[in-house]
Amino acid sequence: MRILLKTGIITLLTFATFILSTTNVNAQTKSETDKTYIKIEVDGLSCPFCAYGLEKKLKQAGSKDVLINLEEGEATMSVPKDQQPTEEELRKIVKVAGFTPKEITFSKTPFKIKQDEK
Amino acid sequence: MNRLIILTISVFSALNVFAQGPPIFTETPILLGLDGGGMRTFARFIVKENATVYVQPLAIPYNLGSKTQIGIVGRFVNINPNNFESVSGFGDLTLFLKQQLYQKDGKGKTFRIIAKLDQVFPTGKTNSMPSIGSDSWQSQLSLVTGYVTLKYGIYGQVGYNITSNGLPDNLIYNAAFVYPLLPQKYPPNQLNLNIGINGNFFTDVNSNTILASGGIQWITSKTALFEAGLQIPIVEEVPEAQKTNYVLTFGTRILIF
Repeated sequence: MRILLKTGIITLLTFATFILSTTNVNAQTKSETDKTYIKIEVDGLSCPFCAYGLEKKLKQAGSKDVLINLEEGEATMSVPKDQQPTEEELRKIVKVAGFTPKEITFSKTPFKIKQDEK
Repeated sequence: MNRLIILTISVFSALNVFAQGPPIFTETPILLGLDGGGMRTFARFIVKENATVYVQPLAIPYNLGSKTQIGIVGRFVNINPNNFESVSGFGDLTLFLKQQLYQKDGKGKTFRIIAKLDQVFPTGKTNSMPSIGSDSWQSQLSLVTGYVTLKYGIYGQVGYNITSNGLPDNLIYNAAFVYPLLPQKYPPNQLNLNIGINGNFFTDVNSNTILASGGIQWITSKTALFEAGLQIPIVEEVPEAQKTNYVLTFGTRILIF
């Protein structure tokens, strides 16, 4: 009886773990496909202490994960698809932040980037 | 003695207090980040042959856009003359306006020119001996340039300061070189070496002062910077008893906007 109970609990736990992990993977996949990834080449990013304004302005545009790479002169971010700013809007944001926007790329998948902070 | 102290405060404090970003002793054409919305304060000790002056300014800039900045500077001053009683109080107030005239950006580099107008209001205490305020309206117009890359920064400033009430007008000329000692990255954790010269030529009396400047800056995060610097006169055309031995500065800048 005790062995049966143990086996039952283990089976239940395994099943629950499987269900949870599947749900998580599904959620993640769904969340990733709901996003647009944006890479902005920015000229004038010459000092770390002045890049903060750009990060702040891009976050105001709806992104929570702005990454700035000084070496590459790039800012990358993701936004929910339904809040995706236009290229024109992004160029304006970069100019207002005090920099010069160059090429802007939109993608359905995340960009592979080298982070400054690592 | 009184006029000399006023002149000392003007030269070593008022004219440099508006620098809002690296470098430490020269103005910058960059109006971004800590240079744009950063409150700045520092303790400056001017050690002279006949007095020690302590100045604690507080500068608050505000960006009206990416190309225009206004700001206000107030200062607390303590003068401790040899053989006289020390005096303390609030010095003159300054309003300033910066307007960017030119910007050329490249990958990891920028070249910018701004015009800067400083207006000093003689609000400082003048009923003490020596006087804390200058009792003089002063208007200063400067051109500031900077070429900043990820590897170094070169800055220059030329300006003219028109004074009233018997203080001599002066031509200001500053230059600085900033070299990062750590790899440039974002978020910042920077250690910068600053060297430069800070010159003043008093046109009415044909007297020149040039200080050699050196300093170190630590930028700890996106919003805070700490700095310390030493200035030593290499040219000082004033009577022996009025000469400056050295100027020490310890300061911080905190982003508030």
